[in-house]
Amino acid sequence: MSDNITRRGVLKSLAGIVGGILAMPAARTCKAAVQNVFAIAPAPKGYDPFKHKWLMALDVDRCIGCGLCVEACCEENGVPEGHFRTWIERYVITQPKAGSGEMRGETIVDSPDGGKEGFPESLIPKEDILKSFFVPKMCNLCENSPCTQVCPVGATFDAPDGAVLIDKNYCIGCGFCVQACPYGCRFFNPITHTADKCTLCYHRITRGLKPACVEICPSQARIFGDLKNPVPDDPLQRFRSTNKVETLKQYLGTGPRVLYAGLDEEVR
Amino acid sequence: MPPQIIRLVLLTIGIVCVYFTARYFLVPPSFGQYGHYRANALQDIASRQPFWAGKASCVECHPDHARKLAAAEHKTLSCETCHGPGRAHVVNPVEKLPKLNMSLCVRCHQASPSRPKWLHQINVHNHYTGSVCTECHVPHQPNEVP
Amino acid sequence: MDATILTNVVDALPQFDGYVYPNERTLHPLWSVLIVVYPYITGLVAGAFIMASLVRVFKVKALEPVYRLSLLTALAFLLCATLPLLFHLGHPERCFEIMMTPHFSSPMAMFGFVYAWYLMAVLLLELWFDYRRDFVEWSKTEGGLRGIIYRAFTLGVTDVSEPAVRLDARVGRIISIVGIPSAFLLHGYVGFIFGSIKANPWWGNPLMPIIFILSAVVSGMALCVFIYMFLCWARGVTADMRCLDLMVSFLFYAVVIDSTIEGLDWLHRLYSAEEGIAVLKSVATSKLFYTLLIGQACLGTLVPLVLLGSMQLVRKKVSELNRRRVYFTSAVLILMGVLAMRWNVVIGGQLFSKSLRGFMSYKMEFAGSEGWLLSTGLLILPFIILIVLIKYFLDRDLPTIENVVPGAARPADSPEAQI
Repeated sequence: MSDNITRRGVLKSLAGIVGGILAMPAARTCKAAVQNVFAIAPAPKGYDPFKHKWLMALDVDRCIGCGLCVEACCEENGVPEGHFRTWIERYVITQPKAGSGEMRGETIVDSPDGGKEGFPESLIPKEDILKSFFVPKMCNLCENSPCTQVCPVGATFDAPDGAVLIDKNYCIGCGFCVQACPYGCRFFNPITHTADKCTLCYHRITRGLKPACVEICPSQARIFGDLKNPVPDDPLQRFRSTNKVETLKQYLGTGPRVLYAGLDEEVR
Repeated sequence: MPPQIIRLVLLTIGIVCVYFTARYFLVPPSFGQYGHYRANALQDIASRQPFWAGKASCVECHPDHARKLAAAEHKTLSCETCHGPGRAHVVNPVEKLPKLNMSLCVRCHQASPSRPKWLHQINVHNHYTGSVCTECHVPHQPNEVP
Repeated sequence: MDATILTNVVDALPQFDGYVYPNERTLHPLWSVLIVVYPYITGLVAGAFIMASLVRVFKVKALEPVYRLSLLTALAFLLCATLPLLFHLGHPERCFEIMMTPHFSSPMAMFGFVYAWYLMAVLLLELWFDYRRDFVEWSKTEGGLRGIIYRAFTLGVTDVSEPAVRLDARVGRIISIVGIPSAFLLHGYVGFIFGSIKANPWWGNPLMPIIFILSAVVSGMALCVFIYMFLCWARGVTADMRCLDLMVSFLFYAVVIDSTIEGLDWLHRLYSAEEGIAVLKSVATSKLFYTLLIGQACLGTLVPLVLLGSMQLVRKKVSELNRRRVYFTSAVLILMGVLAMRWNVVIGGQLFSKSLRGFMSYKMEFAGSEGWLLSTGLLILPFIILIVLIKYFLDRDLPTIENVVPGAARPADSPEAQI
């Protein structure tokens, strides 16, 4: 065995080790150059995502279906035409047929262009309507989000402060998350070629502003707050203590956090 | 060890080394910091420039309007709900906001069986047709007459 | 305002009726024809491999003539498997992320590793151990490009002694055994991708991965029958009827098991009649009438069952020529039927809204990334690759050495020698 250890062999090994040590800074520079693709943009200073837990609540009895929230969101976030980060649905429940023994007639739901320009008059005559109401829809900020569970690369995630976000510099555009969301709140953005969804106006809430839809809503149908830092007479706390609240599609086990007050059984 | 097995083991080790080298270069910085995602993405997303100025910035310079609004039924509205995006005006107050037209009032107040009963609604087709809303209503204080 | 606008809006978008979530109102489904082609291809790979493993693992000697052909078929299709996915991704240039930062809670994250494992550690390795001895021999006798290829594939190992060849056979068998669950994993994870989506009442159920695997086995076996018969016809040789009869027997029983489980799936849905059943029944009977009821159920399952089942019963009374006609027809029908099944699951699952109140309908375009042209091309490409593989590795002028049963000389008029 000792015959095999020659001066040549030792010099070769030493050269290898030195070469390896010298290569490390070069490798690091190369790595930095390659990773420059993921450049960091300046963000609001002093925001710690672990110190906040955002939530939105929706009061169906206060929604007047003006659609200004949908418009505001599209302008705030540059949402492409035909796609929606939030939208309004109109439910029209008709009177039951006389003598049928039914509690109600059929339910007609519509959402023309997401409700962005408001709602045209319903085609159903007023006397046939048993009840009708508007339901705003958005990302349900799920506790066990099925959408983040299925992302193959880690491009969509649950932020520590409760928002469910998409890293559009990392998303490969496979569409799995769009398929997995039971609420239809995700879409494939034809401009960025990535998945897209409501970000809770993350760029606004991290600066102490309210999401665009909450800001513009004329009737306080959308209530927004920070569960970890409630303000005096916090509207979110008031909402939860005065209303009987419900969440959508609870049976799926997604743990939706967005609370609805005044929901009807017909709402899907 | 038979030669074919040795050759294959070497090949496997080579492939595994290539994989880990690739990982060193291609896994982005800050990945895995908070969870299985790029923590810097939070900053990327938060760095977008806000579009709507927000009621608070209007109230800063127009406290009198804000006080009047807060005393009546339109207190739940934000200024930009009716007046439109105000950031340009906040940045440079010389830039005036565009004049409003009455279709805005109709947008919320047109009667509909789907709208809740607490909202004051009118049927625009037979509610003083030909007149303008502001002839009889003051937008900032809807319970007052001009 | 009012009624006229609503009518115009509805007329301008004839693609949906009832209520569909606004984000579902897209021109074509998110997972469209490319995502139909991908499971089809991986299914063919898994099924062809199972056919090959019948020879090595279950020692069905009569299927020896199609052993190498099945493996090469699996390889040709596996090489093309990533293409539909790359064409479908919004950012194919970021595809490496799936291997660099795989999110292990996602079944799709398995793709990179399962594919790499199956390609390198199972298929290529099994082929290598089977062909190694031939590579060494052919590298000595062939010249030019062929010689270079064969020499490269020997990986520099030229030992073809008796113990080395016995080791090859033993290792090859172990790889085959490992390869069966790997093949199930390669295609099963695709079924799991659909089965895990609880948001979709058509897709999200535990039978989905099983149905995918079973129909994959069926399609792969049918493909082997089809290619074997086509190759024999192209070379002007008669197919080995003992081999063919046995292949078709296995195919028949696979179809029986597959159709039973698929039937069970529908039976259970109709019986338990959960919330989405109305919308699912509507989709199955109206939008998917031709592809599901006629294409998949009737032509793709019932007719082959009847044809092949009757062949099982009256095989001795039917002439070889007629048997071959029946086999070929059934294989083609089954291949079309399984493609229809993929279409029905993938596209069908996106034809109804998650609100369970409405339907979408899509028109497939001809060109473009989700069009007919690209998908047809992607389905033809593996056959072209297979032709090249057969030319280099299954050429009838090349002497083949039987190395599974060491020491056994191949009779000159054996079935393999005929190919």
